[in-house]
Amino acid sequence: MAIVKRAEGRAYLAPLVVFLLLFLGFPALVNLIYSVSTVNFENLRSPSLSGLGNYASVLVDREFWQAVSFSMRFGILTALAECLIGLFLAIFLAPLLAKRSFLMAPLMLPLMVAPAMIGLMYRLVLHEFAGPVPYYLFLWFGDSPAFLDINNAFRTLIVVETLQWTPFAFLLFYMAYVAIPLDVREAAALDGAPWFKILWWIELPLMLPTLVIAFFIRFIDGFRVFDNVYALTGSGAGGSTTSLSIYIYQAFFKEGAIGKAVAASVMLFVASLAVLYGLNWLAGRRRT
Amino acid sequence: MKSITRSLPALAALLASVALPGLANATVTVLGWPGGSEETALRATVEAYNAKAGISDADKVQLLFFNRDGFFDKLQADMAAGSDAFDVNLVATYSIGRYAPYMEPVELGSDAAKVFGESVLKTMQFDGKQYGVPTDLSLHFMYYRKDLIDALMKDEAAKKAYGEIAQKYLGKELQPKDPDSWTWDDWAATALYFSKQANSASPVRYGTVLQMKNLLFNMMVFQSLPRSYGGNWMDKDGKITVDSDAYKTGLELYKKLYDAGASPKDSLSYEYAETNAAYGSGQAATALQWNAAAADLTNAEKSPAVAGVTGIVAPPAGPDGRADHIHGLGLGLNKNAKNKEGATKFLKWLASEDAALLYAKSGGSPALSPEVVAKVASERPDLVKLGEFASKYGYVMNGATSANALSVYELQAKEFTGYWAGQQGLDDALAHVKTGMQDLLKK
Repeated sequence: MAIVKRAEGRAYLAPLVVFLLLFLGFPALVNLIYSVSTVNFENLRSPSLSGLGNYASVLVDREFWQAVSFSMRFGILTALAECLIGLFLAIFLAPLLAKRSFLMAPLMLPLMVAPAMIGLMYRLVLHEFAGPVPYYLFLWFGDSPAFLDINNAFRTLIVVETLQWTPFAFLLFYMAYVAIPLDVREAAALDGAPWFKILWWIELPLMLPTLVIAFFIRFIDGFRVFDNVYALTGSGAGGSTTSLSIYIYQAFFKEGAIGKAVAASVMLFVASLAVLYGLNWLAGRRRT
Repeated sequence: MKSITRSLPALAALLASVALPGLANATVTVLGWPGGSEETALRATVEAYNAKAGISDADKVQLLFFNRDGFFDKLQADMAAGSDAFDVNLVATYSIGRYAPYMEPVELGSDAAKVFGESVLKTMQFDGKQYGVPTDLSLHFMYYRKDLIDALMKDEAAKKAYGEIAQKYLGKELQPKDPDSWTWDDWAATALYFSKQANSASPVRYGTVLQMKNLLFNMMVFQSLPRSYGGNWMDKDGKITVDSDAYKTGLELYKKLYDAGASPKDSLSYEYAETNAAYGSGQAATALQWNAAAADLTNAEKSPAVAGVTGIVAPPAGPDGRADHIHGLGLGLNKNAKNKEGATKFLKWLASEDAALLYAKSGGSPALSPEVVAKVASERPDLVKLGEFASKYGYVMNGATSANALSVYELQAKEFTGYWAGQQGLDDALAHVKTGMQDLLKK
């Protein structure tokens, strides 16, 4: 006998379904309609269907592919940097944190700050005449690099993103690291395995699912970056720091090309979904 | 059942206690221009309005601000969607046509003309109707260090070095001049002379501060240069003329100064605030900057390094004389305002002499009639210059009041900064802008 009757089950699920329909389904439907329509701010409520022209105009737009390239490079590099530094810190600091767990709080602080605020903060910190970093560089070395010029803006943005989000990767890795049963390590040590072999052959394989998940979460976050980049450099000289999200924002608000912007966002949505399905497939494959 | 019956009134009382204060606090919400002297002045003026006797709680004004980046785009989206989140909204001369369908004209009364003058009221008119109270007139000043220029003019060795630098970088024989008679070449030579990279003996790090971020407002600052060489967006027949020699000269001069180190290395990320910080640090000899910065740059508490030694003149001259970009900011009535009566009452008060003087004293930049500005001339001498420069050198490019004017500025910002950053050639940048403008400004 079923514990919950079918009708009751439906009743319990109804609020969730209504919520999803309202807050995900409706916007998704509107987006799909706008993406195949000629629409601007004047005819938002009465768009006229125009086929797949918006998708075509996005696909032949040189700036779209530049934005995709920026987002891809930014996503991969920041995810790699955050995971490598986070992994090192998790293993290196694990003995200390086991005794002084309160140190976790200051390490997590960057996560508490809104990305847009981080962008504004570094706009001040790196300003040649108001920021402490150029001030001390001038004081000690007589010069300071242009952190936000065309040559350095990308690197600066990578560093800023990495500084903010490394604690996230660190937290995941630390939890995975301390969850490894102590007796496994002790058994390996008794067999005479040195620390680097224990790390390479035992600890890292046991942490692998967390490593993969953390990398993809950080990649997705980096790929769709908007706030801190927009606050720090805007779309950059000649559009050099235009991420895909900024491209969509500009097409929507600055060009008023709503159909084109929504078509690009639908493509971003599909790409994100593909990555998530890929992750799911990887996880399923591991279970079997 | 009894307990439910008993708890219902209690629940109603609880809900009422939450909701009623909200109703009692129904106010006039004003969406202002964020982050500059305009915000400071508006805050002070609104505070005075709310403290006035006879202003009911329902008509008290509360302020709403969001970021300058994309302000007008977000405003358009809000207004097109019929937002009633604000009763009064910002409007600019270059965007009235874009927002007029979502706004209601306001009747400001006959005193408004005495306070501002008819020509200034017109900056807030569209199709012959008044859509707002003109709160700020914006144009550009050339800020310069009087102490540095005076020292240069008195030093024969320095004058010789100045001439050599002008010859080397600009290919012209130039001598130092009084800033009020500068041409753009004189300004460029001065900027180079006062740059460490071009002249290691310079007492300051940079000769000027160029606002070169990919931002539409920076294009407004830049355009006075090509304009003084006869540049325009389009001719009287509607043909786009942005690929003219005037624009080429202006764009090349900016790039030459940036490449020569006459402006900070990060100038490609500079806008209003960064420019103020750079000039205010005392490490730059000149800055072409919005007039709104005058209140800060001449205030000894806010800019101690430069306040006492900063001179202000109109932008330099080109072959066609001097030119100064001009536009007005103001506040008007949202068509979907929840509290239209209260909003109109506030706007009428804002157009009064008392309010305009208070706004001026609080750091705002209203363009006031000569009789009214005389009452604040001792505290705000820059407002006297504001009126003078606007009447002598003020200009609006052909097409710069069209519905797509802001998009044109955006396009220019992207392409011109791409040229200055070395990402594309001058001819390519101008060709891209011309093609885009033909599309945006077609009738």
